[in-house]
Amino acid sequence: MAVTLPDQQAELDPGRDYPLASHRPELLRTPTGKPIDELTMQAVLSGDIAPEDLRISPDTLRLQAQVAERVGRTQLARNFRRAAELTALPDDLVLSIYNSLRPNASTKQQLTDIADQLENEYTATLCAELVREAADVYERRDILA
Amino acid sequence: MTAEPLPVSTPKSSRTEALEERPVNLDGFVEEWPEVGMVAMDSPYDPAPSVRVADGVIVEMDGKPRAEFDFLDQFISDHAIDVSVTERAMSLEPVEVARMLVDPTVTRSEVVEVAGGLTPAALLEVVKTMNVVEMMQALQKMRARRTPANQAHSTSARDNPVQVAAEAAEASLRGFRELETTLGVVRYAPLVAIALQVGALAGTPGALTQCALEEATELELGMRGITAYAETISVYGTEPVFCDGDDTPWSKAFLASAYASRGIKMRFTSGTGSEVQMGNAEGRSMLYLEIRCILVAKGAGVQGLQNGSISCIGVPGAVPAGIRAVLAENLLASTADLECASGNDQSFSHSDMRRTARLLPQLLSGTDFVCSGYSSVPNYDNMFAGSNLDSTDYDDWNTIQRDLQVDGALRHVPEEELLAARSKAARALQAVFAQLGLPTISDKEVEAATYAHGSQDLPMRDVLEDLKAAQSVMDRGITGLDVIKALEASGYSDMAHTLLSVLRHRVSGDLLHTSAILTSELETLSAVNDANDYAGPGSGYRPAGERWREMKRLRHVVSASNPEEENG
Repeated sequence: MAVTLPDQQAELDPGRDYPLASHRPELLRTPTGKPIDELTMQAVLSGDIAPEDLRISPDTLRLQAQVAERVGRTQLARNFRRAAELTALPDDLVLSIYNSLRPNASTKQQLTDIADQLENEYTATLCAELVREAADVYERRDILA
Repeated sequence: MTAEPLPVSTPKSSRTEALEERPVNLDGFVEEWPEVGMVAMDSPYDPAPSVRVADGVIVEMDGKPRAEFDFLDQFISDHAIDVSVTERAMSLEPVEVARMLVDPTVTRSEVVEVAGGLTPAALLEVVKTMNVVEMMQALQKMRARRTPANQAHSTSARDNPVQVAAEAAEASLRGFRELETTLGVVRYAPLVAIALQVGALAGTPGALTQCALEEATELELGMRGITAYAETISVYGTEPVFCDGDDTPWSKAFLASAYASRGIKMRFTSGTGSEVQMGNAEGRSMLYLEIRCILVAKGAGVQGLQNGSISCIGVPGAVPAGIRAVLAENLLASTADLECASGNDQSFSHSDMRRTARLLPQLLSGTDFVCSGYSSVPNYDNMFAGSNLDSTDYDDWNTIQRDLQVDGALRHVPEEELLAARSKAARALQAVFAQLGLPTISDKEVEAATYAHGSQDLPMRDVLEDLKAAQSVMDRGITGLDVIKALEASGYSDMAHTLLSVLRHRVSGDLLHTSAILTSELETLSAVNDANDYAGPGSGYRPAGERWREMKRLRHVVSASNPEEENG
């Protein structure tokens, strides 16, 4: 799948374009590339829609991050940008990283390895940054395994 | 005249005996004990506000240098506080910020910006200058969504899915926009979560559903599209208690992104009293610790927070000014620009007067969700250990709305509409269970669920068979799509279409924004397209038009055109 950079995306005006489902449906695609308008009952019944089609795409999350930024919600937008990165990860990997971030669950090396994996395999740089920051704090506060 | 000597054992006056009989005297009250954190919002051990910034980083906060920050201090200073405004905001006197909160000519966004630069101790000093009426005035401006809403608990003491389906239908019809369930026996979760989802579709469309479980399981049900949102993502105000909860601000921030990455709405949960209850309040006031939770939520980038003491309400409820502190936490969550689901969701008092007084600040100000769990079932069926309001309070609630012309987001619904929706929910669940090869729901159960008040009115189910089936739902990988197909195949096409629309909203991500709900037309209403614009008298949300006409209806209202008749 092609990675779309945020600056190549449509410029959104929250007052005009949100909710995107009603005002900008042409911008919305499933992670499998289907336009949102193709998510019809007929498609569900004929088996053309899989659970993966009812997920959000990284591009959509970055559009929503833009909306959040434009209404002044910096942290919410950053969360959406981290989420955009996590769309590429399988469910069980997401859950396992969450468990590794619990207190006293991982060594510093294990957290560093997770951060490297996020960055190198999934281009998840914001998430990698969050995990590295956790590794440093956990070391200082003595909650590593 | 010489008085008769009083007997050795003084008898009580009839007045005292009458007062002793009052339900309020069954409630628990304790004196303040700041050393262990048994103090609402005014502890001599709370830190004094301070901030120091060097090279764009907060290097001192509330009297502590950065090297001594615990993990909450560090997370809050690096992620929640706006470094670009903090020194200017911290130079204001607390009472100046409090006046900005109360003054309708100061806009919500101006307050949000200034408050974004305040440290936990500074936010505490601000609300300490405010009485409850001032806090309510501030809350009606600071609530993120313009239109208030409400959330229900739909649970069953026997985890009976048929009952939960019928209750979900009734709750959505009565106006709740979010429905939450949980379990007595956790393994029942998949069946009850499906029942809640199916039932909600049989009432007013667009009520979002969730099942409160351990974090990882809750996420899995969400990922499968069996639930639509989540809120049992707890955060705590001290490092030891956060660790006892087996989380850190970083694990929770990651979880927030995990939910968003699947298009699922989520909010955190916290509340005054949890740290005392878990035995490690570090001698801070309950509200100071709760403010740290609010700022962790803000820093994590989650859109909202359920707070207002929640399941710990007995703790602030027992100390002086505790309920004032609970209102202050709702106000500060809203001031942090978060969605606030504002408590009123746990059994609080034996006294009807006291539980109403505890409710009024949120109901009168209006919040994003006035109750973060109004029990849509009798309290004996409430698996969150009871709520401040339950299904026997509906008529009182609707009357208070009408008396004061205040929108608590509920409405009176005629009996025949309720029965039709409850019956449809139970029948649809019967069909879905049959389609998915889950244990049979009998016609007798459907009938009983339609007319029931609580689980005691329903036939017992074969629990072992249900639990086996619940496991098979997980093993077979059943998802929301399977529920859609089962509904469509059994002739519940309208419900199937509604569920598809609800799940399609994940693809758009519109529901991820602050304070988002779905209207009955399945349109997203959030703090982006329905931002609170309160600016004093004559502005902001006021129930009018069709909504006000709806609020005027009660079970018994004498007709003006024919006094012999009642409209209800």
